[in-house]
Amino acid sequence: MNQDSPIMLIGVGGAGSQIAHGVSRAFGEPMRLILCDTDSVSARDNARFILLGGNRLSGRGSGGDVAQARLAAEDSKHEFNVHLEGVRLAVIVTSLGGGTGGGASLEIIKHLRHLGIPSIIFATLPFSFEGEEKSRRAQGITSMLEEVAGASIFTPLDQLIDNVDNMDEAMRRAVDTIATGVTLFWRMLEKPGYIRLDAERIKKIIAVAGRGKFATISAQGATRANDIIDGFKRSTLLASCNSVKSILLGVLAGEDLRLSEVGSIADGVRETFAPHASFDIATVNDESIFSGRISAVLMLFEANKVKANLDEPISLTNQKRRKRDLSPLSQGPQGRGRFTNVEPTIYNGEDLDVPTFSRRNITLDI
Amino acid sequence: MTNIYAALELGTTRSVLAVAEAKTGEKLKIVRHAEINSSGIRKSQILDIKQASESIKGLIKAIEQSPDNDHDSINIGNAFLVISGQHVKADPYCGSIQVEGSKVTNRDIEEVERACQMMVLPKERETLDIIYQTYGLDALEGISSPKGMSGRMLRLNTLHIHGNSNRINDARTAAAEANLELRDPLFAASCAADAVLTDDEKNEGALVLDLGGGSTSYAVYFDGYLAAANVIGIGGDHISSDIAYAFHTTHAQAEDLKKNEASAIIAPNGSSSARVPIQGSSPLMDARTISRRALDTVVNLRLKELFSIIRHELEYQDLLHRLHKGIILTGGGSALNGIDALIHNELGHPVRIGKPIHIDGLSDIENPESFAAISGALMFAHRNYESKPILSLFKGLFK
Repeated sequence: MNQDSPIMLIGVGGAGSQIAHGVSRAFGEPMRLILCDTDSVSARDNARFILLGGNRLSGRGSGGDVAQARLAAEDSKHEFNVHLEGVRLAVIVTSLGGGTGGGASLEIIKHLRHLGIPSIIFATLPFSFEGEEKSRRAQGITSMLEEVAGASIFTPLDQLIDNVDNMDEAMRRAVDTIATGVTLFWRMLEKPGYIRLDAERIKKIIAVAGRGKFATISAQGATRANDIIDGFKRSTLLASCNSVKSILLGVLAGEDLRLSEVGSIADGVRETFAPHASFDIATVNDESIFSGRISAVLMLFEANKVKANLDEPISLTNQKRRKRDLSPLSQGPQGRGRFTNVEPTIYNGEDLDVPTFSRRNITLDI
Repeated sequence: MTNIYAALELGTTRSVLAVAEAKTGEKLKIVRHAEINSSGIRKSQILDIKQASESIKGLIKAIEQSPDNDHDSINIGNAFLVISGQHVKADPYCGSIQVEGSKVTNRDIEEVERACQMMVLPKERETLDIIYQTYGLDALEGISSPKGMSGRMLRLNTLHIHGNSNRINDARTAAAEANLELRDPLFAASCAADAVLTDDEKNEGALVLDLGGGSTSYAVYFDGYLAAANVIGIGGDHISSDIAYAFHTTHAQAEDLKKNEASAIIAPNGSSSARVPIQGSSPLMDARTISRRALDTVVNLRLKELFSIIRHELEYQDLLHRLHKGIILTGGGSALNGIDALIHNELGHPVRIGKPIHIDGLSDIENPESFAAISGALMFAHRNYESKPILSLFKGLFK
C-alpha cells in the first residue's frame, strides 16, 4: 500500500471491487486502494476493505436496492476518513445497475467532496440482455453521479465486448478491458514521463468537466502512431461524444518513443475530436512494460452542464489577498501572519489562518 | 494506600503541569500545579524543541518548589501527556465477526474487540484511544452487552482516536530533554469531558467544547459513550492574531484587548460610539482609541465561523439534535466575554461553563475550567493505574 500517493483508487460494489483489484494486479506495485461493498464476499487479500452498512445489511448485500446501498454507504462514510490523509484525488471504479455500485458511489463521492477531495468515476452500464429494469436503475443514478462527481465516465458493457456468447467470459473480458484502461490512466498519474500530469492538474480539468468517454488503443510497428489514431477514430466507445470541451491524452511507451510520434498522435486526436477543445497530454516511458509498442488512453469530456458549483475559493481568496499584501498591514506571505510556518487550517478550500473579516472583505470602521 | 500521578499539557498559550494524589476512600485531589506562558508552540505544534523543553523544566521546577501543607518535597519523573491540535482525529470503525456457536460468548466478544483493534492506520499515525460504543447482532443495534444473545454476525462500533506520531514524539523529545518521561498521550477533549460531565449528561447527550489557544476540540456524548470528537485548528490565538492584524497592535496588546475588552457578541447600535484605548506600542504608533464595535466584529466573525464549522460537522453526523443536556465549555477560551451567548445562538443549545467536578484541589484556582483537560488526564491515570501504583516511577516520593 503506497500511503504517500495523493491519488486513491476506490472500488465500489462487487464488480467495482473486481475492477479495482484487476487494476491493482495489472499495476504490479503498491497503490493506494480501498475496496468497499455491502456484501462481505468482496473482501480480498492484500486490499483494505470497508463493509458498507454492516449494521444495516449484515454483510449480505443490498439486494439490488439503490436506496439501501445509499443508506449503507451513509452509515459507513466516516470509516473512509482514516484512509484519506493526504489524498487529493479519488478515482472510483464501479458497475451500475446492481444497487451498491451506483447508490454507494453516490454517497461516497458526496462524502469525499465534503472533505474537499474531488473524484473521477469510471462506471460500467449493464449489458442490454441484463434486462430493462437493471438498465433503468443504472440510468437513473448516472445524472446524480454526474452532478456530484468531478468527472464521470460511463461505459456501456455492450460497447466493450463483441462476439462473445459466454456470459462469464463476457463479464471477465469487460472487467479486464475497464481495468486495463484505468491502469493506463493510473500509470499516467503515478509514473509520469517527460510530459507530466499530476493530481492538481487533473483536479483542474475535472473541475470544469462533465460526462466523459474513454478508450485505450495499443499498437506496435512502424505505423503505430497512425494505427492509434485510426483506432480512436473507429472506437465505438468514443462515438456520439458531442461538444467535446476538454481532451486528456496519455501516451505510454518504451524508450523508443519518438517525439514525432507523440506529436502526430496529439495532432490526430485534436483534429479528429475537437480542434478547439482544451487539451492536456501526459507521457509515460517504461521499457519493461511497453517495449516496442505504444499504448494510448484518451478521455473526452463534454462541458459541465449539471454539476453543482465546484468553485475553488482558495484561488479566489489568493487573488484578493495578493492585493492586500501590498498594504502596510500585510501579515506576510499569504496573509497568514504568525501562522505562516505552521500547518494551515484549510476548510472547504479556505485558509482559516487568515483573519475571517479579511477573507470576507469586511471593512471595519475603526 | 496513596498513589500519585502527574499530567502535562503543552498548550499554545499556556503550559500546565499538575500532580494529584489518590488516597484510599478519598476523592482524587490535585495537590500541586504550575502554569507558565508557553513558548516554542503554535497551533498546538511544537516549533522549537529547546524552548518547549525550557517551559517543561520551568514547570517541573515550579512544582517541586511550590509548598503545600501535606508534602515537603516532590520530584517528578514522568507524567501523562494531554494533547490537542488539528492532527488529532476521531474516526468510527465497525469490526465484525461470525459468531462461532449459536450464542455470543465472551470469546466472540474478545474476538470482535480484537478485530476493531486491528484497524490499520496510515503510517505516522498513533492510536490514542479506542472507544467501544455499542454492539450489533444481525439486524439488532445498540446492544450494550451481547453475551448470551443468539445471532450470526456480531459487530462492534468503535471510535478510534489517533494523532500524528511525529507531533507526539516532538512532545516526548522536549520532555525527555527536561528529564521527564511522558506516559500515555491523552486526547484533551475526552479528558475534559471526563472531568466536567455528570453521568446523566453523558447519557442524555452533551457536547464538550474545549476552547484552547491553538485549536478547539469537541467531544459529543450520548447513551453514556463518546459518540464523536474532532479538533478544529482554530483557537484563541487566532482571535488575538486577527485583532493584531485589524488594529495594528502587538500580539501582547491584542491578547490584552481580547481578554479585557472584546466581546463575542457585537455591541448594539446604541453603543457604536464606544471607544477602547490602546497604549502606544512604538515611537511610530501612538496611544489611540479604537471602535469597540469594530473590535467585537473581528472577534464575532472569527468565532461565528468556528462554531458554524462545528455546527456543520454535528449536523452532518446527525448529532446536533441529540444534545439534550446542552453544551459545556472548558479551556481558557471559555472566559471570553459573551462566548456562551454566541454559542447558544449558533448551536441552539443552553451553555454552561464546565468546572471539574470529580476532582478536588481546584478551589483556589480562578478559572478551574481551564484545568478541565488536565484534571481528566489525572482521573484517567487514577482509573487505569489504581491497582498498579506508579509511585516507584517517580524519582522522589512524598514525605
